[in-house]
Amino acid sequence: PSIPEGLPGEKSTNRDGVLVDEFGLPQIPAT
Amino acid sequence: MAHWFHRNPLKATAPVSFNFYGVAGSPAANKICNNLRTDRARLLEMFTDVTCNPDMMKNATDAYFSLLQGFILSLDGTTQENKMRFIQNFKWTDTLQGNVPSAQQDAIFELISMSYNVAIWYTKFASRMAGKENVTEAEAKDVHRSLKMAAGIFKHLKEDQIPRLITPAEKGRDLEARVIDAYIIQCQAEAQEVTIARAIELKHNATLVAALSYETANFYQKANQTLHTLEPECSNKWRKYFQLKMHFYMAYAYCYHGQTLLASDKCGEAIRSLQEAEKCYMRAEELCKEYRHTKGPGSTARPSEQLFFLKLGALVKNTLEKCQRENGFIYFHKVPEEPPQLELKASYGLAEPLSFELPPLSEQWSPEVYNTFDLTKGAKNDKAKAKPEAEVKPMKEPDLKPQKDTGCVVS
Repeated sequence: PSIPEGLPGEKSTNRDGVLVDEFGLPQIPAT
Repeated sequence: MAHWFHRNPLKATAPVSFNFYGVAGSPAANKICNNLRTDRARLLEMFTDVTCNPDMMKNATDAYFSLLQGFILSLDGTTQENKMRFIQNFKWTDTLQGNVPSAQQDAIFELISMSYNVAIWYTKFASRMAGKENVTEAEAKDVHRSLKMAAGIFKHLKEDQIPRLITPAEKGRDLEARVIDAYIIQCQAEAQEVTIARAIELKHNATLVAALSYETANFYQKANQTLHTLEPECSNKWRKYFQLKMHFYMAYAYCYHGQTLLASDKCGEAIRSLQEAEKCYMRAEELCKEYRHTKGPGSTARPSEQLFFLKLGALVKNTLEKCQRENGFIYFHKVPEEPPQLELKASYGLAEPLSFELPPLSEQWSPEVYNTFDLTKGAKNDKAKAKPEAEVKPMKEPDLKPQKDTGCVVS
């Protein structure tokens, strides 16, 4: 298995399955 | 970041000695009473200690509540009410009603009132931290978490604890639905403010910022509506805050929506959106002044002179000028009379209250220790009766005003 990046609990996904940060913002800015 | 949030005063309470002469009939029972007294006093001190952080607050809260629950939970294996629940009178003032306390002889009233203050403390901690000039990412996360934590505590009290009280909440007091709902919505809206600032900093797209700003403005609108039937003397200042924040975030929403319109070559509509942003911003500025001159609970401030406020004014002005320039050179669009409809649903950044759980019962409690409390022995003692009623002194709150943010950087 690949090595996980970052700390546990820092990332989660929203309803649409997009990876979001602790503020609920998408991980990659969409600009 | 340098945010600014309005804060109402903490609740104040009379000291409680937990001296149950004769009732506490064992060394273990006496120890519980002594610890209740000291843990309560320690937690009260934490509320006004500027060095207190969320970990310290959690430890102090858990210590007191894990013991207090021995007066609430069933410890004799029956479904009957805990015999200790109604033994002690507790007095608490309310955040909006000055120094006039409410009193209830009920351990659940104490649990609710103390938890309420813990939630208020989290909002004050967040306010102090968010008001600093250079807030790090870790600190921004702390602010965000603290506000969601406070929202979760208020929600837990409203849904799970307040309905258990025998005496219903009086109008305008902290425990009634209008006041507690306003606190919940305020916490969520302020957490979203932190998210909006981060979204702008990380250059997320304008649609995301506009949608979250619009939803945040709606939250402030809802909080304002929630309080509109409350006595004006105690709620006017707080409502002015909600109104000014509502207009401020509507200005944000129109400003960023205008950027989206410009990006899709709708320059005329973009100009109209920016004009509306300017209008909302000017109304927010007027409300800042009204807020300052409105008497009521909470600290005084000049929000319209702070950097967070001035920054948006400059952004609206510059964006409007840019749109007008481009319209004069490229688009030649007619500017519509009506502002664009904002039907923006935020998919990202909405703040939900964190679920709050009380700590487990302290190990000092057991059915055996509980049995050594004998209520029949308490009333005979004259010493307990003769004791004068303890007074409620207001909390000596430290100056929680945020540092003045000049926007200057010493390089």
